[in-house]
Amino acid sequence: MRRVVDARGSFCPGPLTELIKAYKSAEAGDEIELLATDPGAKSDVSAWAKKSGNEVLEIKDEQGYFRIVVKVVRKGR
Amino acid sequence: MTPKRIAVVGGGTGGTLLANKAVSLLRSEVSSGRVEVHLFADSSEHVFSPGNIDIAFRGAEPSSFRRPERNLLDRRVLLHERAVERVNLEERAVYVDSERLNYDYLVIATGSVARPDAISGLKETSYNFHTGQEDARRTWEALQRFNGGRVLVLTNIPHKCPPSPVEAAFLVEELMRKRGIRERVEVLFATPYARAYPAAAIAEVVEPLMEERGIRLYTMFNTDYVDPKERKVYSLEGEEIGFDLLITVPPHRGADVVFKSEIGDEEGWVAADKETLRHPKFDDVYVVGDATNIPISKSGVVAHLEAIVAAENIAADYLGTGKVYCYTGRINCPLELGGSRAVFVAATYERPPSRQRPSLMKYLMKRAFPAVYWEMLRGRVDPVFDLYLGKPYKVKGVGGA
Repeated sequence: MRRVVDARGSFCPGPLTELIKAYKSAEAGDEIELLATDPGAKSDVSAWAKKSGNEVLEIKDEQGYFRIVVKVVRKGR
Repeated sequence: MTPKRIAVVGGGTGGTLLANKAVSLLRSEVSSGRVEVHLFADSSEHVFSPGNIDIAFRGAEPSSFRRPERNLLDRRVLLHERAVERVNLEERAVYVDSERLNYDYLVIATGSVARPDAISGLKETSYNFHTGQEDARRTWEALQRFNGGRVLVLTNIPHKCPPSPVEAAFLVEELMRKRGIRERVEVLFATPYARAYPAAAIAEVVEPLMEERGIRLYTMFNTDYVDPKERKVYSLEGEEIGFDLLITVPPHRGADVVFKSEIGDEEGWVAADKETLRHPKFDDVYVVGDATNIPISKSGVVAHLEAIVAAENIAADYLGTGKVYCYTGRINCPLELGGSRAVFVAATYERPPSRQRPSLMKYLMKRAFPAVYWEMLRGRVDPVFDLYLGKPYKVKGVGGA
């Protein structure tokens, strides 16, 4: 299942909050498509995915925003 | 003629200010009886919840942050000191004590609720200052009893007041120094974000100060569960942190009435347009403050500014002016850093927060704000804010852009 999370215009608390909210209710195998304008989102999401063992499938510059697709691979211990 | 009814559900910052603003904008209609403004508040007392920081970490007196709700309202606001059971957007009705009140406009300003019970083991192991004045007081007492060991300040999302976890960490560290036991205390700060503060420019200020004060930082730590026996917190990312004293900002959820009315998402947040604050499916329903699903900070500043925008839109719709007021996403949240210094996290939907130098002046402004707050709820302070910060909205339609 793919879920679109629109965090455009969010700088505080920011797109990672919206991504993690979606992640908490996702199942392994789901994809989360995050839309963001915060320039920090690309590095934040990549760092979080690496640490949490999840996978960034795509980071794309759209007109005026970024599209980041994360695949949920694992949750918790 | 049956009066038009504006029903405001929630007596916090957003609901109280909105009710007063609606009366002010529709003064002659309200005075002549053509419009009624009803406010439903769960409690007869209004609590200034940012005061919980002062109660928990400075031992401030809780009663100094409470006022009777009635005293904060224009006398023409019809106050119902009763909890709303549910709202029905199709029926355009509010249900209270099994009575039904029909509305012409509804404002959902039901706020957010800190829920330590949402994470296994968290409630029984932690001290929380977001769950009310009593719990903030207990946090202060626990900090007074603490004689050494590891204090963990743990952030969970979503939560209101983005600065509050960082403030808690700095104030705990400061308190331990003041008590003369700092060398026996480890202060740890764990956050779900990629840095100490979600906005990068602010994190650049916060992180060196944390290092300077010896506050150990754990980033990207999303609490999975707490083991009360082991006294350890485990994260979804696979880490664990042990503690002797656990102080948390628990995850927040929408209000009970949102769940009972089945008008929110799985966490209880109600959909709203981020500019007009109008519900996407019901054009007579507005949502303001923490209750919305808008990806913006849940804070008093946002509730305040959204209440102004929603009140303007209701008045414009009722009067048929053709104007539409659009919130700019302005935030301006004070963040205290210990050592009598603070910064203001200021941004809009289009402009991220910028880096700034912590200052004594900003700290003094933050400490003085509780006194200003009560006047602000009556709408008396906005002209001053507008002078310095501009209007929190853009106007579209007739006479607008």
